[in-house]
Amino acid sequence: MRVKIFHLTAIGMLTFLLLSLFSMQVVRGRAYRSLSDKNCIRLIPQKGSRGDITDRNGTVIAGSAIAYDIVILPQEVAQIDKTLIALSRVVGIEPAQLRKNFRRFYTSPSMPVTVLKNVDKEKAMRVEELKLDLDGIIVQSLPLRTYPFGKLACHVLGYLSEIDHWRLMKLEDYGYKVGNIVGNGGVEEKYDYYVRQEDGGLSVEVDHQGRFTRVLGFRSPQKGKDLQLTVDWRIQKIAEDALQDFRGAVVVLDVFTGEIMALASAPAFDPSAFVARDMLSINRSFTDPAAPLFNRAISGSYPPGSVFKVISAYGALDRSKVSPETTFYCPGSAQIGRRQFKCWGVHNDQSLVAAIAHSCDVYFYRLGLLLGGQAIHDYAVKFGLGKTSGVELPYEATGFIPNPIWKKLYRLQKWYDGDTANFVIGQGELLTSPLQLARLMAVFANGGNLVTPFIVKAIGGQDVTAGHKRVVPLHLKPAALRSVKEGLRQVVADEQGTAGMLKSAPVSIAGKTGTAEINKVDAHAWFAGFFPYERPRFAICVFLEKGGHGYQASMLTKTIVEMMFQEGLL
Amino acid sequence: MRTMWRILLIALLICAFGVISIYSSTYSKEGDFWQTLFLRQILWVAMGVAVFFMMARTNYRRLWDWTYVIYGAVLFLLLLVVIMGIVRLGAQRWLRLAGFNLQPAEVAKLGIIIFLAKYFSKKSIYDVSLPTRSFGIFRGLIVPLMFVTVPAALIVDQPDLGSGALVFAIFLTMIYLSNVKFRFILIVLLVLLACVPVGWSMLRDYQKDRVMVFLNPNTDPLGAGYTAIQSKIAIGSGGLLGKGWLSGTQSQLRFLPESHTDFIFATFTEEWGFLGGAALLLLYYLLIKEGIAIAEKTADQFGRLLALGISLMLTLQVSVNIAMNMGLVPIVGLPLPLMSYGGSSVMITFIALGIVVNINRTRAVF
Repeated sequence: MRVKIFHLTAIGMLTFLLLSLFSMQVVRGRAYRSLSDKNCIRLIPQKGSRGDITDRNGTVIAGSAIAYDIVILPQEVAQIDKTLIALSRVVGIEPAQLRKNFRRFYTSPSMPVTVLKNVDKEKAMRVEELKLDLDGIIVQSLPLRTYPFGKLACHVLGYLSEIDHWRLMKLEDYGYKVGNIVGNGGVEEKYDYYVRQEDGGLSVEVDHQGRFTRVLGFRSPQKGKDLQLTVDWRIQKIAEDALQDFRGAVVVLDVFTGEIMALASAPAFDPSAFVARDMLSINRSFTDPAAPLFNRAISGSYPPGSVFKVISAYGALDRSKVSPETTFYCPGSAQIGRRQFKCWGVHNDQSLVAAIAHSCDVYFYRLGLLLGGQAIHDYAVKFGLGKTSGVELPYEATGFIPNPIWKKLYRLQKWYDGDTANFVIGQGELLTSPLQLARLMAVFANGGNLVTPFIVKAIGGQDVTAGHKRVVPLHLKPAALRSVKEGLRQVVADEQGTAGMLKSAPVSIAGKTGTAEINKVDAHAWFAGFFPYERPRFAICVFLEKGGHGYQASMLTKTIVEMMFQEGLL
Repeated sequence: MRTMWRILLIALLICAFGVISIYSSTYSKEGDFWQTLFLRQILWVAMGVAVFFMMARTNYRRLWDWTYVIYGAVLFLLLLVVIMGIVRLGAQRWLRLAGFNLQPAEVAKLGIIIFLAKYFSKKSIYDVSLPTRSFGIFRGLIVPLMFVTVPAALIVDQPDLGSGALVFAIFLTMIYLSNVKFRFILIVLLVLLACVPVGWSMLRDYQKDRVMVFLNPNTDPLGAGYTAIQSKIAIGSGGLLGKGWLSGTQSQLRFLPESHTDFIFATFTEEWGFLGGAALLLLYYLLIKEGIAIAEKTADQFGRLLALGISLMLTLQVSVNIAMNMGLVPIVGLPLPLMSYGGSSVMITFIALGIVVNINRTRAVF
């Protein structure tokens, strides 16, 4: 009896063990398997380099160079102190500092420890020589972004930094990971998915002490795709040099295709500071009241001043409110409602062309009242204001166009004639970006087509211009268009034209100045136009933040056009 | 005769599993010592088989006559360990004898089984019926307990808590199988339970650690809990079919300590999976069953108890070792019979199996 119980107990114990074994190996086997893999498989990453960014002619404006990191493989090192002292003698850095770095980044014997980052080539080669005597030192080459032209086109490019939490959440599904370097602002951000490298690496098997046993797999790192921009670095440089002492922006467009030839914003920042992690310089960029990181050319919204007059001029002709022969008398001011609206001069009889040339406010008060606030708004929208242009740069501003309905809904106020008067000369709530005004000028230059500005010509050698939005014909009345264009020409050509100094420029320029008063003292200076007048190629918009009179912007335009002529770019 | 070959075949199959696992677990280790370890095990098995045949031909009643000599030899060896044992892994368990290391605790287990088998089968010349039923507490419990406690205490003192506890478990089951009154066994269990707090304070630090770690292995994943965790990972990651011979990462890359001795089961099941593990458990069961079957057929009380005791020893060692491999009981230093590397264990197991075979052969005489 007792023997039988003993026998059954033995069977019971062994059965229990069998069931436990089944539960461990078959039911929970997968979980244990991953634990065992985690035990013995390590990944050693190898970084690829980001794609180059070139200008339209292939000149590299953001490339990648090799930075040398000095790495120590702890399992190969016999005496770490000896190795570090020898290393410090070669690179000229205190052994204590190296020891501190080593201790900070040490994880396991098989994982390489970076003790020094970004060593120059000469030192890297001397360390290579050191490897003959000492085991376990590795010189690892690491691609880094370089900017051969320094700050050139910094706003177009954007800067690089470690991915932040917000973007990581958004991009996790696309293979982005913590610690990845991503572009911020400019094409580096917009085309990050193409430009970014594919990191490769080794997966190795290690034993219980973390020592390398064998290589399980290798994937070579891939360079990101190259971007070719539409920007011509020479025009870009001319524009940036001209802007050097100002806050403002310059945009140069191809009038027929919308290719951005230059897009400058001042003050500029140094993107290489972000690569070098020069925290002082980075912090200064972020806290500077002049906001150097802000791209004024596309993200800034400013009242356009008199440049806006061309829209109502076309609108009034289009709706036959005035004819080119219609004249209004300018005594220096006009009574609208209960308020006296001033003109900046006394112009006497003004026709449309003359009024544009002289930027006569009274003429446009009259014209605007004939046309009405809502119609001016509609024409502004037609010419691409109040919405983004669709350029493939992030953070583009829409600007703002007021209208009677908006005022009723949001301000709970009636739209007065005075509002129309302010609106028609580009003051008040109206806001535009420099890019929008350059695009507006392109419409007059190319005979009535609204272009979509773009800045990337090719990705990875493949032309993408066909993929951009087509040019939209606005079906403008040719006669009206011709009159406005004539007015734009007279701004420069007329004796009293507001941009008369451009007459001496090497090519014929047409355009409109603007002085947008923002308070009693300061005004934004604008010049938007195109050149050459007879066979237009480029639309330009020069904007100077608190730059004073439109005259200043015209001066800058002259410099830019002259320089372009000198460099043979016209 | 056929029983003998059956037992030998089962034992040799288990030994073969052991040898391939020892080969695998030492495969990636450098040095002649490791590389020839499986050859030594083969040598031990060969010697074990020789002893097996020897014991199978020796009348087991001789053991009856020699019982007190064997008991005395066990005590002598255990005392010798105290005096001149080799300290290894923090414990003094080995004796260096004629060029090889002997673990007297292994010998002691078999010696105590022989002693108890004789003690409970002695008959008076006046009454040929078995007296154990009528044993009072003194003769049924206290006297044999004293005889067991002396060697067991020496084993625990080595310290080898696992073998010590095993000896007590053998003792308890043996008196149960000897038809001693059941309430005596209950008394022993209650006393043991009462002794737990006292015993706890007497444990060495590493033994306390092991118990604590058994209760929660994650308290010290790199220290005392390391082995428990790695062993569970090794077994679990084997899956249904295993990772294949020589491909077990846990043992090959040395995440698993003692992979050729106490944790050979983990090494084996990592590479051969659940199917291998189940086959091994089946083989052990068949071996144990042979012993019990022989005991049931044997009329001689001494032979019956001896065969049962040997089956019992196998059952307990196998169960405790495998359970410890799977993290079901605290880690103790018990080898897996016939699988684990180690001469003492292999030899003693073959001797025990030889005795069982002989009991089967000679029982017809009585």
